[in-house]
Amino acid sequence: MIEERKRERFTVPIGPQHPALKEPGHFQFTVEGEIVTEASVRLGYAHRGIEKAAEGRNWVQNLYLVERICGICSHIHATAFSLGVEQLAGVEAPPRAQAIRTLVAELERIHSHLLWLGVAAHEAGFDTLFMYSWRDRETVMDLLEELTGNRVNYSANLLGGVKFDISQAQMEAILQGLDFLETRTYHYLEVVNSDTLFLQRTRGVGVMTRSQAELLGAVGPTARASGVVRDVRVEAPYAGYIDFPVHPVVEKAGDLEARFVVRMKELLESYFLIRGILAHLPEGEINARLPRRIKPGEAIVRVEAPRGELLYFIKSNGSDTPERVKVRTPTICNMTSVIKLAVGHQLADIPMILAGIDPCFSCNDRSVLIRRSDSEQHWDWETLRQYGNRFYHANAK
Amino acid sequence: MKIGTMLSDVTASLFKKPVTQRYPSERRKPPKQLRAFLVWDPESCTGCGLCAMDCPAGAIEMIVIDKKAKRFVMHYHVDRCTFCAQCVHSCRQGGLSMTSETWELAGLDRSSFDKWYGDPLDVELAMGDEAAEQT
Amino acid sequence: MQTLNSLFALLIFPGGLSLLAAGLLYEWIDRKLLAQFQNRIGPRWFQPLADVLKLLAKEEIIPEGVDRRLFIGLPVIALAGGLTAALYAPLWGFAPAFSFQGDLVVTLYLLSLLTLCIGLAGANTLDRFSLVGATRTLTQLFSYEAPFLLALLGPAIAAGSWQISDISAYAQQHWMVLAQPLGFIVILIGLMGKLELPPFDAPEAETEIVAGALTEYSGRGLALFRLGKGVEMVVGLALVAAFYLGGAGNPLLFIAKTLGLLFIVAGVQSLLARMRIDQTVGLWWRYGALFVLAQWIFILGQRVMG
Repeated sequence: MIEERKRERFTVPIGPQHPALKEPGHFQFTVEGEIVTEASVRLGYAHRGIEKAAEGRNWVQNLYLVERICGICSHIHATAFSLGVEQLAGVEAPPRAQAIRTLVAELERIHSHLLWLGVAAHEAGFDTLFMYSWRDRETVMDLLEELTGNRVNYSANLLGGVKFDISQAQMEAILQGLDFLETRTYHYLEVVNSDTLFLQRTRGVGVMTRSQAELLGAVGPTARASGVVRDVRVEAPYAGYIDFPVHPVVEKAGDLEARFVVRMKELLESYFLIRGILAHLPEGEINARLPRRIKPGEAIVRVEAPRGELLYFIKSNGSDTPERVKVRTPTICNMTSVIKLAVGHQLADIPMILAGIDPCFSCNDRSVLIRRSDSEQHWDWETLRQYGNRFYHANAK
Repeated sequence: MKIGTMLSDVTASLFKKPVTQRYPSERRKPPKQLRAFLVWDPESCTGCGLCAMDCPAGAIEMIVIDKKAKRFVMHYHVDRCTFCAQCVHSCRQGGLSMTSETWELAGLDRSSFDKWYGDPLDVELAMGDEAAEQT
Repeated sequence: MQTLNSLFALLIFPGGLSLLAAGLLYEWIDRKLLAQFQNRIGPRWFQPLADVLKLLAKEEIIPEGVDRRLFIGLPVIALAGGLTAALYAPLWGFAPAFSFQGDLVVTLYLLSLLTLCIGLAGANTLDRFSLVGATRTLTQLFSYEAPFLLALLGPAIAAGSWQISDISAYAQQHWMVLAQPLGFIVILIGLMGKLELPPFDAPEAETEIVAGALTEYSGRGLALFRLGKGVEMVVGLALVAAFYLGGAGNPLLFIAKTLGLLFIVAGVQSLLARMRIDQTVGLWWRYGALFVLAQWIFILGQRVMG
């Protein structure tokens, strides 16, 4: 009789404190030798009760509260909230304000993707790329400081428009900065596409097929790297994207390399878009007045954050504080893909796969399940989808 | 398939100065748009209190000494301020603005984080009221 | 008098304290060069010294479930191995302090002792990260050791001796880097593998397994391991400079050559991303062994032809 030798298997915890994670999250990987056999995740370490806090503050104060849900995608949270409140109040922000909102959103996307490039390179052990991409990120942060007044948490939005106008000198500074960044982005695209050692870590790693991406509900660049053409700016344009359309950037391979390439190409798309906005900035006011009390109603806003689709549900009951603000961030959609993809890979690939979805743990801590003491409603995907179809059909403008 | 694709960057850096800004011996001039310390012009204030209501951090306290005579005192908590400039836009009289010069706001004791704006006599009155409230 | 001389060589110069200081200095130069390549400033000159002093002053926490004597003893053995290996290497351009037939092999084993101790230290603890790190350290040890050894033996064959002082004396006549270029490449990359510098830093990959085998170490133990690594760097560079770059007759040449090598090592560090442990093994057992075997065939062919 031959006894099978039991291979060493144990659970490696990544987090909540780990150099691979910039924010806390708890992953448990069961490892045999170096191959992962099981994975599970536990979130909730950065839960701050923002949705509850929003109910106790007035509409204006909430604009700044939601801005601080995330540091990297702060502007898009504020934009989504403003759009929702404007929708409820029946006021539209003037076109110049929408264009400036879009401009800042695209600058934020550039900043977020460059940050992500550095962090992902650091996870791969490629510190030089990390240092250089973050050095170049300083250019866009200086531009944002010159335009909005702060490097992070730009506070560019007001309920009804934007706070500041853009001058000729600022426009020229932005165009100059974009030229520099464009050269650097082409260089990084080349590095990501052709550096042998880097490709060894990214090509063929973490492959997610198109059907898997659709099943797991992935959004944003993570899904677009697997061939799923899903971009809120294209499907349901909002703010300035109606006048300045975007071309979605899609790759078919679905591995880590594709995710890198998608984000680099999105940078190039952003440069093109910003140049278009600056060349054809509409004239006019930069904000509209909104009443302090917002009419009762419900609004759903979908925007494209740098990480994917961001959804806001805002309910008003006619007072000057919201009744309910619900935020569904993109990372929580992409998180399950990490768990599914990790199985079968080596331990060394795990930080890369995790970095590939561009996780933002501070965004994604929401309570998803609410249990009522009397009854429990259980909706499956199909029911929810049909409800959504009926709702939008009934409320089509 | 190449090895060392960052070679051009790396060799160029050998002959360049590092990009690190050696703060505090090197200081860059902040842009005009920078939102730093809040400044209040008491002449234009009507005491509506919208700035205090709209502040997301509760950094502004409007103390009314005499509404008819337009004597107001503003207690500005620098340590609570998030420098969002909402108060600047909430004020219909344009009495608030954020400077871009005073942005190094670190301090060694708490008194540097409490700014009282207004007529000195009024300020003393207001400070006295607050001290009395606290004891 | 002989014992006094020996003690001096052992404790002060060229071994001992001066070697430890040199290790810290070279670590600083490496970090500073890396920073310059990455367009940033880097640490000030006393940073490695400050790190070691701080670590020595901290409390050493011994985790539960480890063998106490091994835990405390392994760092000491590692540092001792490094310092002893230095006695047979031609440091500072002088002849080695001690020398005997076959000391090349002894030096190599003493250098490997350091890595072995790190691996054992990791396997000793019950922490998962340390176990994975220890496995990787030992795997890497077994993969680069053979090509590294063979590349060091290349000049030995050319010199016809297994004694380091003979080899370096021979190498001062002939520049081995021209005669055995493949061997030079292998040994330089092998040195980076030995010192666990990027791209071969999978055993201590910060973003995957925190600190690898040394995760549970703190205080004095960690300080001794770090000093050991610094010593290993100086000795390794000295050997490579002595064998391949035409030896070093005086301290100035020694410093110039080792710093030149350090420059190349820092450059390679900054250009390459980290390799996974299986890719490292694949690289070494395919290309490393191939190159060095090709070099050996060339050398032996030369000798046969006369």
